[in-house]
Amino acid sequence: MNWRIRLTWWDMVLLAIMALGVVLAVVRYAGGIRSVANINNAYPWGWWVGFGIMTMIALGGVGFTITLLVEILGRHRYHALLRPAVLMALLCYASAIVMLMVELGRPWKVWMILVSWAPSAALYEVGWCAFLYLNVLVLEFVQVPLEELGWGRVLKVLRVIYIPIMLLGVTLSHLHQSSLGTLLTLIPHKINVLWWSEQLPLIFLFSAMMAGPALAILEYLAAARWLGFPPNIDMLGGLARIEAWLVGLLLVFRLGDLVIRGAVEAALSWTWFAVSFWVEIGFGLLLPLVLLMMPEVQASRGGLVTACSLVVAGVLLHRLNVAVFGLRVRHWETYVPSFGEIGITLGIAAGAVFVFGVLARMLPIHEELPPTVASQPRATARAAAWHGARSVS
Amino acid sequence: MTTPSVKPKAMIQDNTRCIGCRACMIACKSWNNRPADHTEFFAGAGYQNPVDLDANNYTLITFNEIVTGAQPDWVFGRQLCMHCEHPACASACPTTALTKTALGPVVFNESRCIGCRACMQACPFLIPKYDYENLNPKIHKCTFCADRIEAGLKPACATVCPTAAISFGDRDDMVAEAKRRIATAPGTYIPEIYGLDDVGGTSVLHLSSVPFEQLGYITGLPKTPMPDLTHRWLRVTPHFFALLYAVFGALTWIMHRRSNRSDSKGPTA
Repeated sequence: MNWRIRLTWWDMVLLAIMALGVVLAVVRYAGGIRSVANINNAYPWGWWVGFGIMTMIALGGVGFTITLLVEILGRHRYHALLRPAVLMALLCYASAIVMLMVELGRPWKVWMILVSWAPSAALYEVGWCAFLYLNVLVLEFVQVPLEELGWGRVLKVLRVIYIPIMLLGVTLSHLHQSSLGTLLTLIPHKINVLWWSEQLPLIFLFSAMMAGPALAILEYLAAARWLGFPPNIDMLGGLARIEAWLVGLLLVFRLGDLVIRGAVEAALSWTWFAVSFWVEIGFGLLLPLVLLMMPEVQASRGGLVTACSLVVAGVLLHRLNVAVFGLRVRHWETYVPSFGEIGITLGIAAGAVFVFGVLARMLPIHEELPPTVASQPRATARAAAWHGARSVS
Repeated sequence: MTTPSVKPKAMIQDNTRCIGCRACMIACKSWNNRPADHTEFFAGAGYQNPVDLDANNYTLITFNEIVTGAQPDWVFGRQLCMHCEHPACASACPTTALTKTALGPVVFNESRCIGCRACMQACPFLIPKYDYENLNPKIHKCTFCADRIEAGLKPACATVCPTAAISFGDRDDMVAEAKRRIATAPGTYIPEIYGLDDVGGTSVLHLSSVPFEQLGYITGLPKTPMPDLTHRWLRVTPHFFALLYAVFGALTWIMHRRSNRSDSKGPTA
């Protein structure tokens, strides 16, 4: 384990955004939700739920998608993406939990979900599944530092239970990613016809699956750039071809659902809803689909970054459209996210990126890096930890 | 009446009898310990105060300027929790902080609430409100005076109405009474009972002389219970869990065997 990390200029920027988030969170706890947020009686969720929870959980789908691909479907070609994917998922879910602690009116009561059973509530299922899945992610990821620390006996146990735990994680992900959509099927009277569908659970599941490989490709290329290893573009090209299928299938599903529900007229009318819908479909599904199908894009870093960024942004816009922008209650009631709401979510997201960056330099997360760069010889690392010589400078 | 029957109760809000005195609003505040508000005379339906339900107002008489006959006139409506037979709020609550009692009220158990506000999002009538400025916020809505009903009393609002616009009794009797009023005075009422079968029926039934949308009521809601929308998915969830786990387990085993055969490299964490 490499304790000697040099914080870069980027780390400083992330720390500054985190500090802003902390200040705003302190204001929220000292003065109540009203003191920082614009959420109101008509729009009780807003940006915090739409971005901080719904989008973060969708992006956390990278964990189960890559695990499914590598461990269940046996595509070991993509093994290099597994550890980063699990860590990203862990941090996305942790971010969502932190968001929940800010967003809930009474966060000190959150354990009630575990003791006051409400199996007929979608949110109850999301809460339980996300809680269990977070534990699964911790059990999966903790093997990396334990290997470094040389805790052989604990590792042996973890490796015995790995397969059933990994299967549990992938299964739980399918359930709660879709249940987030189920949650929103309850409010057809509030969500614009362009987004409300009885198939929202499937749309949520498919889009989380689609976000997974895109985020994995983006992370891999970013790591190659900043940690300095030559990326295996051939492998990414293979994943891009899989991703093209996922994007294409969701595009067909979304448009088919629109036609079957008879919402085509709403989609062709000149409203802000329709504009937002077509931006989402055009830039989040159609354009990346075309790009991902092009061999030139599959073989170029810039092309992959562009296509995958569009996919991730499209998922973000979908979650915001369905949970924030597409909601209308009564015409005189409005909601625009406040600086405080956005600032806190940015602080949490910056925290996740910061922790990822630090761990990516401390632990052997990327297979491409030679072991001596990512981690010192095992004996030295252990000795350093024992003698308290932990320096983050 | 010392031993209240366990038959579900209901309330009729007969808007044709309402004179807009707002005694129900005062009685409601009084029984539920809600503080008085400093309200303002505003443009539009300015006599209506406050503008909307909030954490301090569990019921509201709405003032609607409607042209009836030759000139505009006030026609009153009332907002309060409908106490659905199949409440969407309770079905959305992840901690069962909201429950439907046998007597009819949908009651809020503060000690279980985590403040997720899913009930507010779920309610088709936009009833639950939140006190965002409070450091220990709660969901606020009409309680149907569940404590009074348990004790065999009428809800506070129903006791004070000077024109008998609010009637209270067993739901079966109230439905029959509402139908009787419409049948005996077809010129006074529109032939519709708001809440009879909307979202699967509610414990509050509204009568009106004008179409309900003119009174600002939310109309066009399905006649089926709202929780059906989520239950059709949630019902199959445990089966999905078992099925997916088995399928993924089988796939892992097959792929593992195949890769072991081709080369001796197995999946590693």
